[in-house]
Amino acid sequence: MLIYAVRRIVVSIPILLVSSFVVFWLGTLSGNPLTPLILRNPPPPPHVLAAEADRLHLNEPLVPRYLSWLGGVLRGDFGPSVIATQDIGAELGARFWVTMRLIIVAMVIALVLAVLVGVYTAVRQYSKADYTATFLGFLFLAMPSFWLAILLKQGGIDFNTIVGDQVIYTIGASSVPAPPGFLARVVDIAGHLVLPTIALALISYAAWSRFTRASMLETLNSDYVRLARAKGLSRRTVMFRHALRTALIPLTTVTALDVATILGGAVITERVFQWRGLGDFLIESIRQFDTYAVTSWLLVSAAIVIAFNLVADLLYGVLDPRIRYA
Amino acid sequence: MRIKAAAAVAVAGVSALLLSACGVGGGGGGSATASGNFADCPANVNTCNAVPADQLQRGGTITFAIEKNIPNWNVVSADGNVFETGMATQAYLPAAFKTQPDLKLALNTDLMVSADLVNPTTIVYKIKPEAVWSDGTPISAQDFIYAWKMQSPARCPDCSTAGNGGWELVQNVTASDGGKTATMTLSKPFTDWQNYFSSGQPLYPAHIAAQHGDLNTPQGVAASFDWFGKNPPTYSGGPYVVERWQDNQALTLAPNPRWYGATKPTLDKLIMRVITDATQEPIALQNNEVQVIYPQPQVDIVQQLQQIPNVSQQQQLGLTWEHYDLNLRNPALQDKALRQAMFTAVNRQDIIAKTVGQFNPEVGPLNSLMFLPQQEGYTDNIAQTGLGSGDVERAKKILTDAGYTGVGQALVAPGGKPVPAMRIRYTVGNAIRQNESELFAGYMRQLGINVTVEPTDDLGTTLTAGDYDIMVFAWVQSPAPFANAQQTFLSTSGNNFGQYKNPATDKLLTEAASSVDKAAATAKLNEADRIILGDAYVLPLYQKPVLLATQNGVANVRSNASLNGPMYNAGEWGLRTGG
Repeated sequence: MLIYAVRRIVVSIPILLVSSFVVFWLGTLSGNPLTPLILRNPPPPPHVLAAEADRLHLNEPLVPRYLSWLGGVLRGDFGPSVIATQDIGAELGARFWVTMRLIIVAMVIALVLAVLVGVYTAVRQYSKADYTATFLGFLFLAMPSFWLAILLKQGGIDFNTIVGDQVIYTIGASSVPAPPGFLARVVDIAGHLVLPTIALALISYAAWSRFTRASMLETLNSDYVRLARAKGLSRRTVMFRHALRTALIPLTTVTALDVATILGGAVITERVFQWRGLGDFLIESIRQFDTYAVTSWLLVSAAIVIAFNLVADLLYGVLDPRIRYA
Repeated sequence: MRIKAAAAVAVAGVSALLLSACGVGGGGGGSATASGNFADCPANVNTCNAVPADQLQRGGTITFAIEKNIPNWNVVSADGNVFETGMATQAYLPAAFKTQPDLKLALNTDLMVSADLVNPTTIVYKIKPEAVWSDGTPISAQDFIYAWKMQSPARCPDCSTAGNGGWELVQNVTASDGGKTATMTLSKPFTDWQNYFSSGQPLYPAHIAAQHGDLNTPQGVAASFDWFGKNPPTYSGGPYVVERWQDNQALTLAPNPRWYGATKPTLDKLIMRVITDATQEPIALQNNEVQVIYPQPQVDIVQQLQQIPNVSQQQQLGLTWEHYDLNLRNPALQDKALRQAMFTAVNRQDIIAKTVGQFNPEVGPLNSLMFLPQQEGYTDNIAQTGLGSGDVERAKKILTDAGYTGVGQALVAPGGKPVPAMRIRYTVGNAIRQNESELFAGYMRQLGINVTVEPTDDLGTTLTAGDYDIMVFAWVQSPAPFANAQQTFLSTSGNNFGQYKNPATDKLLTEAASSVDKAAATAKLNEADRIILGDAYVLPLYQKPVLLATQNGVANVRSNASLNGPMYNAGEWGLRTGG
């Protein structure tokens, strides 16, 4: 198991390097970071533009530029940002936990909901609840996340109007200034967390609940479950000890693979809800043609995806002892 | 049956969501460009929404949404000379002159006793005795001397300044009168002299600069210049001090206890909150998470604001103007008659109606390249040329008279060479400019010129490389028209992307920028304007509107379409009693 995990990490390194080079190359082609300065009226003096080009290594050939950046990354230096005062490494570090908070809470909500609804609708196949869940699942799958987020915001405002208090917030991860007192701060953070996590969770929930339902149905109709029933085991034991456990194995794979998709969803969610996480950082960096920042973002997001896939590998062992002992 | 029931439940749920999205109700009332508290802004641009400080609520917080982070705290540096930094500095940096909402510079009477041009090359600044920095150090001539040193190319070659014109003319700044008078001498007159030490180029504390570099050496000045850029302000010479800076989140300002100005802040806090997605600002305003927003106007945002109860909005035409530029590197475009015909066929009124006119019926064609309608000297120099009139017959006649054939079909130049296909380029993702480009191509089709529309994701490089035949973009002017004109149209200017070269206009622009007689300078600028327009090099379209919206409880906030933004009078912002 451990050897398998290490092998996975080693294999991912060349993929990471190639993809980072491609992103770096595309980044250099996509635009000139000096554009905002060139278009100023009055324009900065020529020596200012030259100094800025020098600082950003814009006059150096692509490959040495990339290799120099890569060497810097190994030393913890992610290269110069177009924003002279910005340390890309520090910025990624600060934003990492903002995004992880959003992603992990959303994934937990989505998984719990997906398993509950998936199992229930499999057991009660073709019931009203099944049809409703199916319809809503496809609806959330089809709905653009941006639009869903806006609808949720309006719902939040209506909720505030009904309760006559500011309970749900539409921007940021917390209020400015933060309210005094520990409890008030927790409530404030929760009020900011509600809408973005729902927005992010609903999209994943929709896919995962369908997946759980299908997987559960397949398991419920398998020979060993029928045998377990025939042996007189209780419905509860058959469901949770035999069927569900087996049905969760493919869901684990899908969840781990979906981390990249959730990261993509977080880019939009963070933008709409103005969370200063990795997604927001990516959009701002692309907007400013900040090649080093965009490539560094790719490295971090790829590391997140690899980490989640490793967790999934370990979970297989928990769910299926045959893998643990293999 | 089961399917129907399930579908009904789902449809009901979705309908509820949709209704909640649409049913915000209410409405601000008033005109499309100024409603509620801003209703009198078109008539009283400098004083609308005014409430005296003694009639305002004591305390409270106003949160103002800004659309970008503050990347650098030195507003005179190239990195820091951005709108958000420019607005923030209004709260804590003193300046001799401030750009008012009418886009005119006015003496800052909180700081200054006077600032006079005593002879064509000497300016005397008298500072109020009571003016002090927040640590108690007097605001003095030393601060003026430091501002000169950091912006003078000779005194600080390593200072990456934003390049505000005129500083290369400054020979010296000296202190007298116990440090409360600064005298500046120039090598030659500078018509826009009020731009020195104005709110776009404010004062930084020299005594703090001296702690971070030897101000008698260029290296020391550069070191202090960089220090001011990297570090959030711990100093203030304005009505507010910076209480807290949360990177990418918010700037929290609190009243400056040593503020010497006439009007004391009534708020406990003024917060500038970073919201980088303009479409989210009206929602935050509706949810009272912010009370003031200043987004780029779009049809959707303007309509959304009109639906929110207890919100006032104001649109103002400012210092940014949209235009078509021709690239004179293109041999076909070197023929003046062709250029004149092309610009004559363009219908500016039609373009406005199909773009910004949809949310602002007051936008009209801009008729000068040099001055904006709010500025003294604005003259309609276009009417006589017929440019932008959309008069296709007149355009065709220009071509026929010049010897062109195939007019309206496939245009052929007098020498027998077909007029080649051309490209009009615009910034990718900008729907308004895409419209303007497509309309332009349509007008040209009527003349027999094939124009293809092509976006660019890098406007700056496309312009400097000359990779276009026609470009549609905007200039953001400072309130200094004489310096602006040089930077945009002088043959040697880096911003003269289309390579317009004319010794006659160079002479006029240079003389206008260094004149002792403002009326004569204005006349020269208008003369240059008529020549450049006659040459049909740039066609001005319209002034771009800016949009301000506030909760109705907010007082003394009004639009200021310069780099100052609405924060120009931050010290006066307050909450109405019971608001």
